[in-house]
Amino acid sequence: MHARAVLTVERGAGGRSVVRELRSQSPLSLVPRRGTAAAADPAVTVHMVGSASTPLAGDDVELDVRVGPGADLVLTGVAAAVALPGTDRPSSLALRFTLGEDASVQYLPEPTVVTARAHHHTLLHARLAPTSRLRAREVLVAGRAGEPSGRYRGTVRVEEHPTPHQSAVPVVPLLHQTQELGDPVLQESSAHLAARRVLGTEVLIWGADGVAVTGDWWSLSPLSRRGSLITAVAPDAVSTQRALAEAIAAHPGWAVGTRHDAVRALVF
Amino acid sequence: MPGLASLVLADARFPGGGHVHSGGLEEAVSRGLVSDVASLEGFLRGRLRTAGLVAAAFAAASAAVSACRPSSGPSPSRPSSSCDGAAATRARFAELDAELEARTPSAAAREASRAQGRGTLRAVRAAWPSPVLDDLAAVHPRPHHPLLIGAACGVAGEPPGEAARCVAYLAVSGPASAAVRLLGLDPFAVNAVLVGLGPALETVVAEAVSAADGPPPDLPAPGAPVLDLMAQAHVDQHRGRLRLFAS
Repeated sequence: MHARAVLTVERGAGGRSVVRELRSQSPLSLVPRRGTAAAADPAVTVHMVGSASTPLAGDDVELDVRVGPGADLVLTGVAAAVALPGTDRPSSLALRFTLGEDASVQYLPEPTVVTARAHHHTLLHARLAPTSRLRAREVLVAGRAGEPSGRYRGTVRVEEHPTPHQSAVPVVPLLHQTQELGDPVLQESSAHLAARRVLGTEVLIWGADGVAVTGDWWSLSPLSRRGSLITAVAPDAVSTQRALAEAIAAHPGWAVGTRHDAVRALVF
Repeated sequence: MPGLASLVLADARFPGGGHVHSGGLEEAVSRGLVSDVASLEGFLRGRLRTAGLVAAAFAAASAAVSACRPSSGPSPSRPSSSCDGAAATRARFAELDAELEARTPSAAAREASRAQGRGTLRAVRAAWPSPVLDDLAAVHPRPHHPLLIGAACGVAGEPPGEAARCVAYLAVSGPASAAVRLLGLDPFAVNAVLVGLGPALETVVAEAVSAADGPPPDLPAPGAPVLDLMAQAHVDQHRGRLRLFAS
């Protein structure tokens, strides 16, 4: 199934972020959080629901997210994604984020479990303005317990684009990385996963970046231009998420706080 | 066929300071991840397919830029009609530098690459003097090692594939020799492992050369998670303590 979804968030009256456009179709549903908690939160939270979180072979999902100047979006998944085998075609998920000045996106999907015989591709392409902020987490599980991993290839590319009055400034790549699962040589190699089953990464383009910090099996490293990347490997998803939380707490920009403490409470 | 330049640059006796880098092997040994010839082979195969491929692709792309500069050498491998002067060459090196930085999220790995590039630059300038090296050094005084090796091969008239092979080989030969020194492994067995990587190395070279023909943003970017986190840990945990290798 092919699905194309669009989500546009803008800063509305009173400084609160509002959903301006929301189009989604099976197998992807986008559901804005409602209720009193949502009403009190100046950021918009949208859940990705449905088969988007359980891709089948042949499913081809694209999501374009635009966040206007000064607006804030939290995009989450509600269930562990399981890339399942099906027909002979791979499943794919392509996310394109475009952020205006002073806009922010936190992309916090649940872990992707790449089951045996699955073949799944993902792309996250984020275009930032010089003052936008991005937090993007990815937790990959190489197969369910006791089974080998299916095939997975995911690319993250984060670019900083000049504002309209800086037309002579080139586009700067902040991060470009492809992760691959399902190759036994790589998985066993102590240069790649060192036989650990779960890989967690978290991109943090979020204010001040400090010096690199390391734990036993995680690192928080400043990128070349701006932003940081957290990398963690562990035998299970829970330990991986704990390592990511420990690492993000060591990031100076994040420690200063988001504009919305409610968002932080939600995330932890 | 490889020319003299790529042979000299891949030689362990080349005076570029490469002998102080183990490519993460020392940290892998101290964590007990590499302890014998079999685990060394696994490490090398993973390193070749990840960090090795990124380095090879950027070396190939840099060689193509270098060979394109009209004053670059006696036998440019591409017609000069499609080539440009200093400003355009610098802009193309700057784009490669930015894309390589984006593909090297570990600050420790970026520093190791620039440290090796700086040491190699002096030896390369003396051996293959060319304005192309000034163009590369104008982008950053400590050029990334793969970009410099590529530029030197291009200046010497070697095609991008030779630059890619040289860099892919260095990505595994350094750690292999470090393993002999750190673990006292049988040098004949380690050398045989290195030779056994031949087919995997040729696959990497072919992929690097093919990617180098396309736009720099499309160059390969395979991550090496444990290599990245070990690179930083090596710097942090061994600071002020005795260690044999800088990386």
